Amino acid sequence: MKRRSFLKLSASACAALAALELNSKGFIPKASATTSSKSKELPGSLGAKEIPSVCEMCFWRCPIVGKIKNGKLVKIEGNPKSPANGPRVCARGNSGVQLLYDPDRIKYPLKRVGERGEGKWTRISWDEALDEVAYNIKKVKQKYGKDALAYFDHGASAEFMREIFKTLGTENYTSEPAFYQCVGPAALAYIKTLGYVTTGTRQYVDMGNAKVIFLVASHIGENVHVSHVREYIQGLQNGAKLIVVDPRFSVAAAKADLYLPIRPGTDTALLLAMMNYIISNNLYDKEFVDNYCTGFDKVKKAAEGCTIKWAAKICDLSADDIKKACHLLAENRPHVSIHPGRHSTWYGKGDTNRHQALAILSALLGAVGVPGGLYFPTPVKKGHVTFGCHEKEAEHPDVSIQDDFYPFASIFGSPTGKIVEATSTGKPYPIKLWGINGVNIIQTIPNPYQTMEAIKKLDFIFCEEILPTETAIWSDIILPGATYLERYDSVYTYDLLTPYLTVRQPVVEPMFEARTPFWIARELAKRIGLECFNYNNEKEFIEEELKGAGLTLAKLNEQGGLVTFKANPYRDRKDFKVNTESGKVQLSIEDFEDEDLNGVPKFIPTPAPPVGYVRLIYGRSPVHTFTRTMNNKWLHNECPENRLWINDTLAKKVGLKDGEEVVLENQDGYRSLPIKLKVTPGIRPDAVYMAHGFGARSKALTKGYKKGASDQFLISRYEDDPFIGASSHRTNFVRIVKGQKVIDLPELSPPPAEIPRFEIRRKGGKS
Amino acid sequence: MSQLAMVIDLNRCVGCHACAIACRAEWSVPVPYKRNWVKSAGPEKTPKGMAFTFYPGLCNHCDEPKCTTVCPADPEEREFKSKDGKVKKIEIRATYKDPFTGAVLIDKSRCIGCGACVEACPYGARYLNEELDDPKADKCTFCTERLEHGLEPACVRTCISGARIFGDLSDKNSSVSKLIKDKGAIRLVSEKVNIGPNVYYIGKEKDLYLLKKKFAPTERTWENVMAPVRRNILISAFKSLKVTA
Repeated sequence: MKRRSFLKLSASACAALAALELNSKGFIPKASATTSSKSKELPGSLGAKEIPSVCEMCFWRCPIVGKIKNGKLVKIEGNPKSPANGPRVCARGNSGVQLLYDPDRIKYPLKRVGERGEGKWTRISWDEALDEVAYNIKKVKQKYGKDALAYFDHGASAEFMREIFKTLGTENYTSEPAFYQCVGPAALAYIKTLGYVTTGTRQYVDMGNAKVIFLVASHIGENVHVSHVREYIQGLQNGAKLIVVDPRFSVAAAKADLYLPIRPGTDTALLLAMMNYIISNNLYDKEFVDNYCTGFDKVKKAAEGCTIKWAAKICDLSADDIKKACHLLAENRPHVSIHPGRHSTWYGKGDTNRHQALAILSALLGAVGVPGGLYFPTPVKKGHVTFGCHEKEAEHPDVSIQDDFYPFASIFGSPTGKIVEATSTGKPYPIKLWGINGVNIIQTIPNPYQTMEAIKKLDFIFCEEILPTETAIWSDIILPGATYLERYDSVYTYDLLTPYLTVRQPVVEPMFEARTPFWIARELAKRIGLECFNYNNEKEFIEEELKGAGLTLAKLNEQGGLVTFKANPYRDRKDFKVNTESGKVQLSIEDFEDEDLNGVPKFIPTPAPPVGYVRLIYGRSPVHTFTRTMNNKWLHNECPENRLWINDTLAKKVGLKDGEEVVLENQDGYRSLPIKLKVTPGIRPDAVYMAHGFGARSKALTKGYKKGASDQFLISRYEDDPFIGASSHRTNFVRIVKGQKVIDLPELSPPPAEIPRFEIRRKGGKS
Repeated sequence: MSQLAMVIDLNRCVGCHACAIACRAEWSVPVPYKRNWVKSAGPEKTPKGMAFTFYPGLCNHCDEPKCTTVCPADPEEREFKSKDGKVKKIEIRATYKDPFTGAVLIDKSRCIGCGACVEACPYGARYLNEELDDPKADKCTFCTERLEHGLEPACVRTCISGARIFGDLSDKNSSVSKLIKDKGAIRLVSEKVNIGPNVYYIGKEKDLYLLKKKFAPTERTWENVMAPVRRNILISAFKSLKVTA
């Protein structure tokens, strides 16, 4: 209780604020006395104590308030003070309550007693658990060297423990699926072109002020980040034209003015043809390109010959539609939002170049630093906190699994696939211990079969987890972490169009024997003998961070837990400068050329499906985050399983019906869990689609277990992006198994001769 | 007389289900019951092009609610007061339409949990909460309790894209009145079922076409409930239940 005593934001103040807002709209009738409740306890969440905090149901981290009644969290709402989301949170944000109270939560430290992956455990004490982890870390480091330690991390919970691995000196102190299975190639392309992380955790695309929004397989809407979706919808409401490029008729496609159902794997061909058309017809922003960009001639040359007609054939699109898209963008420049996309590790080789093409298109249209285009972050000042840990970057070993294989990997850490490989083969050096925090790697890194085999070779594997995920099941020790609702973390700043500063603080005390990530990291560091974490608790360093912003926790909470700042997103042309070596936008990237990689985008065709198979593509359910929320009681009830989208003409040809249950078999013979069909004209016949994250294989996830199918378990082959080592997720092919019958899928849109066909080398019946 | 109403803008809706969960949290609606839902329709070809849209639904607080007429509870006189002090006395059963707000509500103290109203609703907007020792009918109240505290309905407050607009139809200047007048909002009705729902939808023509095709009720569900006969059967059934219990 004492933690909450400082909170000054009373429920009544909040209600008064809301009433004020509503009265100005003037449509809410006043109470009618006969129906009002006479009892003292107000109904619903009314009268609850409200504690401001920050969501972590996904990494967007919307400001929230936790509503507490009788010591229990009853509801979560957006923090009305937040200029980004206001009182709103998405389905997942609303469902944090059921993460906190999930009966499947890991309640105590656990030690494996059966085989790895078998799921047999015994309860142990925190002392025992931490001692064992510390002992193994020291032992592995001593026996095999610092780089034998590897850390997979994601999200807020992982940040403190990362300091330990960094201090231990391993180059593998961070290995984030968030980059290698998500935004890595996109982030790299934009960093090199525009000099900042235009797309990473945050995305600086001013859709709210755009006249045209151009989405290349961005599933915005199915992929929900509240303020981002709000800006997108605001843009559409203001009359922005929407162009959507996607093999599937997504929620965004349904709102589009122009929809281009592209052949999977050919996006770069489309973008090159658009560049060529825009350049050769003088539709680009010559003034911007001449004065503020470098490398134009190289881009012009790279796009030369990429005609609309050529792209129409490669991409299986109408030439008129491609032209229409070019004209819409050019006529409305510079106020055009060319979205960098998200989760874009699709085809391996061409991913970085594809994103570079999107960045170049923005620049050609002058859509940088202007309303409606890409914009610049507004950093919000806070105090810099060091934990007294290792401040220097780790020294790389003689052969690094980062830059010695992928020249730009070290910007992001160690490529996940390379860690798995090194663990399996011992080359270029042995990796013998994995620590995992905040990420279910088995359901995230491609080829889970390979990941599980690698785990078998480890001396030790441990994780900090909230739920008994597949990865937890494969661990030797599980440390039960507190949820975001039970802990302080850090001061969070938001540097988009409505900047603010806020802080995560507990809305309830940790349940069971769960402990906060800071406490766990600090205790572990002590046991390893590291001089680390020179603060006693989170509040101490939070005060330090706030001091740098001229605040204290008490002061911040007096203001509703959040303070706002003015944004500075746009730049006058005369002052236009970006943070690249030349200070200009780099249309062609010399750093890439120096490493014998394409300095300008090039279309590298990805092999077409083998005969009888179609490409497996995946996306998001707006109700779920990764594989993290399928066990959430409320979210599970809204969307318990995924469905396989299959083209209606294709389905008819092979006698498949909507709603019937099938199994998928991929090119390597791996089979999925059963999944129901969604037969629709809204997908091309050369691909099938499912939302990611379903089909849990951990029995301990009692609600999500075996519900729907996992795309991940069908991704048994992947190609590396040569820039950073990100892994491809759209290079697997499937056919359908119904009952005992394997159904080959006929080819209804054959690829042109320019696109090679994938050849199946292995045959077999793995499952 | 006021009539509370909601307009749902499908051009804004992305189908995120925040509304459904906020409602569940606000009113502790047990899984799997729903007062507030999101269903999807499509992608499917329509005469106006390919459509893919959502059906965010809730109780329609109809002009001519059928749920209130099938309720077997004895009518009782009740006094209602409006916000400006007007008083009205009407006879109500255990479920009734508030004469001043137009909200269709349930008097839980009088509900016997027979489920007649649940079956009568052509929108499936009601459920019988069997999690309770003494099951009661339940459904959306337009968050009447929150309105009394000057707050919007929970689903409106959480809607991430501002797709839910709530207000009073008797006020010609309210956002709902204006949207219905200017944006061609439709009600989810069919030739066979038109009982004056007060949830309206706006959106692209193709989306509204698909919405109606998939989700407009076509079955006069309340006619099957056969109110008077059923009432007698129910009452005797309940009496015998009470005796045996």
